[in-house]
Amino acid sequence: MKVIPVKAAAGISGFESPAAEYKELGLSLDQLIVGDPNATFLGLASGDSMQGVGIFDGDLLIVDRAVEPKHQDVIVANFNNEFVCKILDIHNRQLLSASPLFKPVFISDCDVFQLEGIVTGSLRMHRQNMRLKQCMR
Amino acid sequence: MYALIDATSFYASAERVFDLSIRKKPVVVLSNNDGCIVAASPEVKKLGVPKFEPYFKLKHILDRHNVVIRSSNYELYADLSDKMMAVINRFSDQHYVYSIDESFLKFDGYSDVVNSWYEYGHLIRRTVWRKTKLPVGVGFGPTPTLAKAANHAAKKFVGATGVAVIDSEKSRKQILANMTVSDIWGVGRRLTKQLKLFGIESALDLAKQNPKMMRKQFSVVLERTISELNGVSCLSWDDVKQRKKEVFSTRSFGERVESPFALKASLVTHCSIVAKKLRKQGSLTKRLIIFAHSSPHEDNYYKRSFIQKLAVPSNDSTVFAKQVELVFSQLFQPGVRYYKAGIGAIELEDDMHQQIDMFNVSDDKPELMQCLDTINKRYGSSSLRIATELQSNQWQMKRDWLSRRYTTRWPEIPLIKC
Repeated sequence: MKVIPVKAAAGISGFESPAAEYKELGLSLDQLIVGDPNATFLGLASGDSMQGVGIFDGDLLIVDRAVEPKHQDVIVANFNNEFVCKILDIHNRQLLSASPLFKPVFISDCDVFQLEGIVTGSLRMHRQNMRLKQCMR
Repeated sequence: MYALIDATSFYASAERVFDLSIRKKPVVVLSNNDGCIVAASPEVKKLGVPKFEPYFKLKHILDRHNVVIRSSNYELYADLSDKMMAVINRFSDQHYVYSIDESFLKFDGYSDVVNSWYEYGHLIRRTVWRKTKLPVGVGFGPTPTLAKAANHAAKKFVGATGVAVIDSEKSRKQILANMTVSDIWGVGRRLTKQLKLFGIESALDLAKQNPKMMRKQFSVVLERTISELNGVSCLSWDDVKQRKKEVFSTRSFGERVESPFALKASLVTHCSIVAKKLRKQGSLTKRLIIFAHSSPHEDNYYKRSFIQKLAVPSNDSTVFAKQVELVFSQLFQPGVRYYKAGIGAIELEDDMHQQIDMFNVSDDKPELMQCLDTINKRYGSSSLRIATELQSNQWQMKRDWLSRRYTTRWPEIPLIKC
């Protein structure tokens, strides 16, 4: 038996894209914004006391529990059983707002205070994002 | 050296991560359909509330002590468990997740790097707490069984600090002497009773037995346990992390189910769950059990189960759903008030090594399943389902005290006051 050494072909295949070998993964926002995904959670800002640092009502806060807190960091804390976002004043044991309308709050021994994480970033939507809006129920 | 790390009252602790109002309060978590108590925070345990008791029996005690009640929030627990395990994973190159809240670490050649296991344990504890706000206990031992015993000591003993180490004859004896046999890994309630008849009460009593004799009296499993308690490793690392040999998904209904649509919807949902679990561990099944029954405590108890042999081993949800379709007309009986239904995959094999059958072609569509899994992973489980699953949600669980899914659903993320 003779075998004809011709490869069977079906259809027409084009040339491979010249860009194919340069292809990489697209940029991901997570990679840029989230340092430690296991220690990070997302929360929704509610209120106006942090506008001075650019956090507005309805913004998304990225909170990292692994980062070491420093004086003047924007933090999230458990303050009397509520999540609050403030500026940490370690020297004076105070929680500061970023708005002249809100006074500093002294952390007394009667208060429940526990650091929950550092706000490493925040996201502002310039067009309403319905998925996030639903949180405000 | 081995370590066993587990979360303290995991479900109850998970409820406290994002609900600050209950951080300091006693919390219990109820099982499917809010039936029994499956987790209780340490404060509740101090009240003497037993686990696995029906909720309604204990309601008055819980109310009197203002105990917070929660339904099982599996979405939240699964996500927090993943995060916790990822944090633990960094502490050794050999890590095995044993259950949702327990995992083993193995340390080969770490003795030069780690000066004190006790301190290393506290480092693990601190790190997990800081990154996830979940409390864990850590036990070290030369065998998996002793690591588990040390873990028990780390949490339950007087003056416990959350870390315990068995690294000497003295520490081994001290910890085992203070444990009852029932606290040992793999010793069940019935065996405990039998051992008591032999005068074996503490874990140390058991450790002193002759393994060969105990094998004759009881089982090879107990023989291994005894050797392990004496520091002789019998469970190889692969035994510890053995894959599941059977996978079941079953659930009792929140309310009795009488409609065929609801029953079929529940069974097909169980198909999806079982098939997904098989795909995750890389298994195929040759046999499926499909069953449904009414409550044994009511009149006219009715039970049907079918064992279906698949022509070709499968882990495809649609193939399983077809098997339900095949038996359903025989399974369903009008007028029966169904109490429970489920699916089990009972003869598993590895999907890497299998015998190809020339006469039976597999109906599996791996690409479709992969696509399904990817979509459900990204947009939340059961975003994409088999249509039959949606025929009725009447069979769904009762979850009256469900908390928010803080980490997996956008509309449910925590609010932060500014």
